[in-house]
Amino acid sequence: MKPEDLLHSLPTQTPKLTLNCPLLDRLLRGGIPCGTITEIAAESGVGKTQISLQLLLAAQLPTSCGGLSASSICLHSEFPFPFRRLHQLSLFYQSHIPNNPLDRIFIQPLHSPDHLLDLLSRLDSIVSQLNIRLIVIDSIAALFRSEFDNTPLELKRRSNLFFKIASKLKSQAQKFGLAVVVTNQVMDVIESSGNLRIGNSGFLCSSGRRVCPALGLSWANCVNIRLFLWREEERVDEEGGDIGSMLARRFIRVVFAPHLPDCSCEFVIKREGVFGVDR
Amino acid sequence: MEVSSLPISASQRGKLISAGYTSLSSLSSVSASHLAQDLKISENEALEILKVASRRSGLDRIDNGACAIVNGAQTAWDMLHEEESSVRITTSCSDLDDILGGGINCKEVTEVGGVPGIGKTQLGIQLAINVQIPADYGGLEGKAVYIDTEGSFMVERALQIAEACVEDMQEYNSFVRKDVRACQIRKEPKDFLDNIFYFRICSYTEQIAVVNYLEKFISEHKDVGILHYFHFRQDFEDMALRTRLLGGMALKLMKLAKKFNLAVVLLNQVTTKYSQGSFQLTLALGDSWSHACTNRIILYWNGNERYAHIDKSPSMRSASVPYAVAGRGIRNCASSSKRVKMM
Repeated sequence: MKPEDLLHSLPTQTPKLTLNCPLLDRLLRGGIPCGTITEIAAESGVGKTQISLQLLLAAQLPTSCGGLSASSICLHSEFPFPFRRLHQLSLFYQSHIPNNPLDRIFIQPLHSPDHLLDLLSRLDSIVSQLNIRLIVIDSIAALFRSEFDNTPLELKRRSNLFFKIASKLKSQAQKFGLAVVVTNQVMDVIESSGNLRIGNSGFLCSSGRRVCPALGLSWANCVNIRLFLWREEERVDEEGGDIGSMLARRFIRVVFAPHLPDCSCEFVIKREGVFGVDR
Repeated sequence: MEVSSLPISASQRGKLISAGYTSLSSLSSVSASHLAQDLKISENEALEILKVASRRSGLDRIDNGACAIVNGAQTAWDMLHEEESSVRITTSCSDLDDILGGGINCKEVTEVGGVPGIGKTQLGIQLAINVQIPADYGGLEGKAVYIDTEGSFMVERALQIAEACVEDMQEYNSFVRKDVRACQIRKEPKDFLDNIFYFRICSYTEQIAVVNYLEKFISEHKDVGILHYFHFRQDFEDMALRTRLLGGMALKLMKLAKKFNLAVVLLNQVTTKYSQGSFQLTLALGDSWSHACTNRIILYWNGNERYAHIDKSPSMRSASVPYAVAGRGIRNCASSSKRVKMM
């Protein structure tokens, strides 16, 4: 490796992976960029895994449709992996992906942060052999949740691991032109504690509670793009009756990204996948 | 000792050495009368000794002392003149430029720190574009070296900011210059990209290699005006090694700034440091790095507004000013209740 090799000529556009929905792609100005780490943070049940599954399939779409014409790998720490849902979704992609799309999606369970590091160091050969251009990690938070005490030394050890993992991911993303998507959980924010504002909103709320993405400031420094999904419950009044039903609405917002302004969009989860709505 | 090789009498030599003048450089900055006093000799004799010494140094000493005897030394007068005529790199936010004394200064290292999403990369890209502003518009007409360790540099954003810069220049044209023919903007947004030398580094070894390579690179590309550097964070187990490595890199960057008259902009992350029983927010990389920076700007949130705070500067006083990250780039905060807080 010579220093001269590290000088790159700038392309006019970064390759991106579509989310297979024009409205969501518009929010992201094209889709998930390659060469960087995109984080999707949300509480459970809002849709991060749904979006990940959609991306795993979208990666196989031809580049003319915004895909990467490549395989993808999902490293998951949340069990069980939703195989049935993935299969159901794949049926809607058959027009663009004639051969069985599931053949080109690789699933690997994760047990610990060290396991992830080990996998990432072996990923070089796997990525080039299998033509992988998307890595999804679902979720990074579950890997770190129970392992660390709340002492300064342990937290330092934890943030060391963040840097190691993030730098390995970024270096592979750069080398192979990969898109990397990492999902993250959220934690409730206690009002009295001083909450450090990171990104476009001082107040992230979901299901009526103030939340913030897990893993703190160190992890926030490791990702390039942070997207936040949340759910709001709306009361829909019945006509003539006084008991209304609750309707859950889902939204996605850009918390920080070098190339995106602060904006948000509503989305729904249908059988065919996750789609933005214009309301 | 250099003084012992001077063609002067043994007694003069003896007096010089016992008075502490052992090297030629020590004789360069002393006046004849001062030397006469120290050695208890006549002023004429002192002048003779100084003449011999300066001849030995190979440089002539003019009466008004306006010449460098020691390599790299300048009189304060020269330095003031240089500073007054130096062009600063605008941040495109006039409020921020004001508290910086006109913009980012060349020959100095400026550190910019803040939480994710506050605008460090935005400011970095804005400066990489602004350094290229032609001299006709008050710019440096230089090129930029961008060392990206984070992967946050997005071409699309750089193009967007470059477009806005071209539009601003055209607007300036129509306001100020009546003779439109003479100053057609020949720069396309894409041309701005060509003048950014982009290094993408992913590991600590690559970082050291690039920093060491920079001297050669910049001497081959003399028109580089600004160097952006986002430090690679990797926590070391061996603190002594970390301090040495960081200190070494900091020194190299400072030298590059001075030698090639560059502005060096360091983009730094914010981390929490555990001290005195609680977690404090501090800039990453610690004190060994902080000392190397001439200027420090902290970007932070104040309610819903972004603020820039001059934390360290040799010439400007501490102040905070709001700024905005707009589609066009870094700009003044649009709110009418702008306040510049002076400390």
